[in-house]
Amino acid sequence: MATGANHAVKAVPSYCYNCVSGPDLLTVKVVDGVATQILPNFAAAGIHPGDGRVCVRALGLIQKTYNPDRLRTPMKRTNPRKGRAEDPGFVPISWDEALDTIVSRLSEIRARGLRDEAGLPRVAASFGHGGTPQSYMGTFPAFLSAWGPVDYSFGSGQGVKCVHSEHLYGEFWHRGFTVAADTVLCRYIVSFGANVEVSAGVCAARRHADARIRGIKRVQIEPHLSVTAAASAEWVPIKPKADGAFMFAMLHVLLHEHPRERLDVAFLRDRTASPYLIGPNGYYLRDPRERKPLIWDSNQSSAVPFDRAGSVPSLEGKFSVADCLEIGPDGVIWRHEQAVGATAFTCLVEHMRAHSPEWAAPICDVSAATIRRVANEYLENACVGETIEIGGDLLPFRPVAVVLGKTVNNGWGGYDCCWSRTMLAALVGALEVPGGTLGTTTRLNKPLGNRLATVRPGEDGFMAANLNATDKEHWTAQPTGRNAHRTLVPLLGDSAWAQALGPTHLAWMFLKEVPPHWQRPSAPDVWFVFRSNPAISFWQSSRLVETMAEMPFVVAFAYTFDETNHMADILLPDATDLEATQLIRIGGTKFQEQFWEHHGVALRQPAVAPRGEARDFTWISTELARRCGLLESYNAAINHGTGCVPLTGSDYDFSLDTGRAHTVEEIWDAECKAATAQFSNGAEIKDLAWFKEHGFYTVPFKREDWYLYPTMVENNLRFELPYQERLSRAGRELGNRLHEHDIHWWDDQLEEYAPLPLWDDVPARWERALRKMGGDPADYPLWLITTKSMQYSAGNNAGIPLMNEVGRNMRGHGGVIINVETANRLGIRQGDAVEVRSVTGCTRGHAVLVQGIRPDTVVIIGQFDHWKTPYAKDLHFPSLNTVAPISLDLTDSTGSGSDLVRVSVRTSVQS
Amino acid sequence: MTRYVMVADLRRCIGCQTCTAACKQANATPPGVQWRRVLDLEVGEYPAVRRVFVPTGCQHCSDPPCEWVCPTTATRRRPDGIVQILYNLCIGCAACAVACPYEARYKVEKREYAFGHEPTADEALRADDAVIGVATKCTFCADTIDAGVARGLTPGEHPEATPACVNLCISGALAFGDIDDSESRVSKLLRENKHFRMHEEQGTNPGFYYLWDRDPS
Repeated sequence: MATGANHAVKAVPSYCYNCVSGPDLLTVKVVDGVATQILPNFAAAGIHPGDGRVCVRALGLIQKTYNPDRLRTPMKRTNPRKGRAEDPGFVPISWDEALDTIVSRLSEIRARGLRDEAGLPRVAASFGHGGTPQSYMGTFPAFLSAWGPVDYSFGSGQGVKCVHSEHLYGEFWHRGFTVAADTVLCRYIVSFGANVEVSAGVCAARRHADARIRGIKRVQIEPHLSVTAAASAEWVPIKPKADGAFMFAMLHVLLHEHPRERLDVAFLRDRTASPYLIGPNGYYLRDPRERKPLIWDSNQSSAVPFDRAGSVPSLEGKFSVADCLEIGPDGVIWRHEQAVGATAFTCLVEHMRAHSPEWAAPICDVSAATIRRVANEYLENACVGETIEIGGDLLPFRPVAVVLGKTVNNGWGGYDCCWSRTMLAALVGALEVPGGTLGTTTRLNKPLGNRLATVRPGEDGFMAANLNATDKEHWTAQPTGRNAHRTLVPLLGDSAWAQALGPTHLAWMFLKEVPPHWQRPSAPDVWFVFRSNPAISFWQSSRLVETMAEMPFVVAFAYTFDETNHMADILLPDATDLEATQLIRIGGTKFQEQFWEHHGVALRQPAVAPRGEARDFTWISTELARRCGLLESYNAAINHGTGCVPLTGSDYDFSLDTGRAHTVEEIWDAECKAATAQFSNGAEIKDLAWFKEHGFYTVPFKREDWYLYPTMVENNLRFELPYQERLSRAGRELGNRLHEHDIHWWDDQLEEYAPLPLWDDVPARWERALRKMGGDPADYPLWLITTKSMQYSAGNNAGIPLMNEVGRNMRGHGGVIINVETANRLGIRQGDAVEVRSVTGCTRGHAVLVQGIRPDTVVIIGQFDHWKTPYAKDLHFPSLNTVAPISLDLTDSTGSGSDLVRVSVRTSVQS
Repeated sequence: MTRYVMVADLRRCIGCQTCTAACKQANATPPGVQWRRVLDLEVGEYPAVRRVFVPTGCQHCSDPPCEWVCPTTATRRRPDGIVQILYNLCIGCAACAVACPYEARYKVEKREYAFGHEPTADEALRADDAVIGVATKCTFCADTIDAGVARGLTPGEHPEATPACVNLCISGALAFGDIDDSESRVSKLLRENKHFRMHEEQGTNPGFYYLWDRDPS
C-alpha cells in the first residue's frame, strides 16, 4: 500500500457544496498525484459549525473522480432520433468541434432574436439541487448573464418538490427561504417530518447532537420512523398530510385553553398585525386620508392609524369605527360611514375555535391527549417574558420551534402548515429571536448574501414585498417563461431565482398538452443541462422523457451517460469537484442549519489533474463567450460580481480587462483578491496562491445577525401575520385576470388565497384526483411517501459504489418499507420482490418489513429509477417518481406538489 | 500503562456512516469489507417502537476469543490494548472470524474493485497483497496512532494521532483515548455517563464503550 516516505503526499484544501446543506470544508489527501482520501479541514475547527468536517457523501468524491464510466471527451450525437429506446450513437469529438457546433446554434439564435414569437427565451438552462451546481460551474453564470434572456423553467424536481411553500411564504413573512430552529439555544422542537439528521448536513448533525446532550426535547411527528425520529425524544406516527390539522389544534390549545397572558402579548401587539381591524368585506379598515390600516387605541378609545405615536393598540375585540374604508381587489373601495371592525387577532381566535384537539384527532390518527400535551409542552418551554444577552443586546429568549419537512411543506396543505408554524412561533414571540424559529437565508429578495439587508419598509407597516403584479395594467398576461411563474404565482416575485421556483412541472406539462385558452409554448432552441437529471428526478418520469426527446438541441455538461443526457446532442465533460477552480462564499447564515459566527470565501482547486479531456468550467465558459462574440459583456458580468464577488469596491479594483479572454487562474486570482479585500474592508489582500495553500478566508459574523427581530424593531416593522390581507387581494385580482381570459383551470388554486387558511383535506383532494384519473381509491389503499438517505442521494452519488455500500447499512435502502402487520395481511415476507402500483405507473423493489411505519403507509427511500446511468441502472431500485402523476389537480397555488401517491402493494408473484 | 478504547455515544449517533466510509478510505478496504460500520436496529412493536444506531467493529478486547483460537499467534494484543493481526503469520483459517462475538473480522480471497474488474487509480495505488487471504479487522488505525505518538501527540486529542472514524464523525459520537489516563476525554466521558459494553457477559473485556445517558451521580 502506498504510504510512507517514498511517496509524495500532499493535503489540498477544498470544499463540498454538493447539496443545499453545505458548503462544508474538506482536505483531499493526494498521494503521488492520486486522490486517496477526503479528510476534514481541521483548520476550520471553531469557525465552521461542524468543525471543518464533511458528511459521508463528500467521501464519494474519490470514486466520483476515478469512475471508469466518466466521459472523458466531448461527444456528439449521430442518431437524430431521440427517445429512451433510441441509441444516441454518441461519438467522441474535439473541444473545437463541440464548441463550434454549440456556437453555431447560438449564433443562429442571436440572428433570429433571443426570444421567440411568443416572447419566450430561445435558450433554456436547468441546474439541479437547489442552486448548488452554481458552486461547480465556475463563470458559466457570467456567460448566461452576457447571453441575455434564459428560461430556467425546466426543473428537475427542485422548485416544486423542495420545501416549496416554505420558500415562498417563509421568505414573505420573515425572510426565511428555508426555516430552522435556533438549535443551539432551543429546548423544545416540534418537527413535522423535518428529517434534519439526514438532510440538513454536518452543521445540523453536530448542533442537534450537542443539543440532545444538553437536554433538548424534539418530538418528531411523521408517518414513518425516520433517522431523525430515531434521534428524537418521541415519535408520533401521524397520517400522511394531516400535519396542518395537528398544528391547527396546537393553535387552538394556545388560543382557547390558556390565559392570554401566557402568550407573548407584547410581541403580538407591537410586532405583528394582530391589532389591525378587519372590516365587513374582509379587508383592513383604513383611515380614509392616509389609507393606513387602523388599530383601536385603548388609550383614546378610538381607531387610529397603526403607526400613530403614543397609541396602545387593543389586541382583541370588535370596535365600531366611523369614517373608514376598505381597499379590495382591483382598486375597489368600500367607504364606511360606520363599520364594525374586529382585530385580526380576534378573527384568528374565532377562526381557530372549532379546531380543537378532538377535531384533529381522527384526521391525524393521533389522540387528542397527545396533541394537547405537545401544545402544552411547547407553551411551557416558550419562556415567555425571558430575555438573553446576545452580542451585548438584550433579546427575547423563546427556546421553542416548529419545523417542517418536505411533503409537509409543499403542495396542497403547504400554506396551512407554513402559516400555522409561523403563527405558533408568533403567539409566543418565538419568531426570529434567540432559541426560536429562524429563517436561514433569502433567495427571492436581494441581496442574497445578507437577509437582514433585504428588510426594507413597505406598505402598511410591513416589510416591502416584491409580488408579481396582478392588477389589470401590469399583470403579465403573456408568460415570460414556460412555467408562467410571473403570470400564475404572485408570491414569487421576479428576482433571479423566482423563475426556477415557479411551477416547473407546468413547463414540462405545457410542452405536451395545454389547458384551455393557454398558448402552447415552443420548446427552447437550445437547452443547457448541468447536474440535473429530470428524466428520473421528476414525477411521471416516463412522460418527461418523451417530452425531453422533443427538445431540438440539448447541450449537457456530462459526468457519465445518464437518463437526461441520453437526449443530448452535445456532451461536454467538465472537470469535476476535485479537478477545477472556483471561489465561493461561506458562512453567515445559509440553509439548512448553517449558522456560522464567521463568513468569507473558500476555494475549490485542482487536487488532481482532470481526467481525459475534461475541462475547467470557467475555461468552457470563457471559450463560449469568446466564440459567441460576448467577451466584453461576459467579462463585465464577472467584474460585476457574477463569479463570486464584485471585482471593484470602494477601496479596491481587481477588475478584468473586458477586451480579452482571461485564463482560469487570472479570473480566480482576481476573485480571491477582491473577496479578501471586501471581507477585510481593504485591510488584507490574498491571492490565488495563498488560497491554494490555506483554502478559506473568514472574518467574524455577528451572532445577533442570525435573528431578524432586531432589524424589525429598528425599522419599526411588523411581521405580516396573522391575517393575509395582501395575499388575499392578490389572489382575487389574479382570479379576475384569468377569468377575463376565460381561464378557469386554475380556479381550485385561487381558492387557496384565504386571509386565514382553511384546513385543506389533502387526502380527500388526492382521492378526488385519483377518481378523475380513472382510479378507485379502494384499489390503492396505501400512501406512498419518500424519505432521504444521507449516503445515497443527490444525483451523481447514485453512480458511486461506496455510497451504495454504506447506504446499505441503513434499513430500507433500495427497498420498499412496509409495516410488518400490513405486509402479513398482504402475504408479503421480508425481502419479497414487490410491485408498487399507482393509477399511472408501477415500480418494483424488495420488501423491507419494519415496525416503525404506519400500517397505511409505505416508504421508498430516494427517488432513483435509473435506466442509463452506469452502475445505478443495475441496482434496480424502486422510485416514487415512476408512479407519481404530474397533475394540475395536485398542484397548489404556489405551483408545487407533494411526493405523495395512493398505491397498492403486492408481491411480484401475486401480480 | 495505556489502554486505548473507543467510546460511542448512542445519543449522538445518527447512523450517517461517515465513520464507515472514512474507515474504508483510510484503510483502503475492498468492497463489502467494513472494519467500522453502524448498525441500524429497531426495538418494540408499532407504535411503541424505537430505532437506534450502534457503531461497531473490533472491540479490542483484553481477553479476546480471536486470540484464543488463532493457531499461529497471528492475532495478538499490543501493550496498549490494540488487538492486531500479523498478516505474515496469518494462514487465513478464519477460526478467529468464527470466534469473534462481534462479527468484526473479514477475509477476502482475491482483489475486488468498486467498479468491477479494473481498479480505479486510487485502488491501484493502494492495492496491498498482504491483506488477501488473511483475516483483517479494525486496527484502531494503529499506524496513525504510532506515528502520532512518535511525534509526541496524544491519540484522541490530536487528529494526526487519532483513528479516522473518530476524526470524521460528524456528530461527535465517537471518542478515542487512553482509559488508563484519568484525564483523557474517554475517561471523562465514562465518568460522566452511564455506559455498557457489547456482550460483556462473555468475559471478553471489550475496549469499546457505549454511552446512553447522563450519570447524575
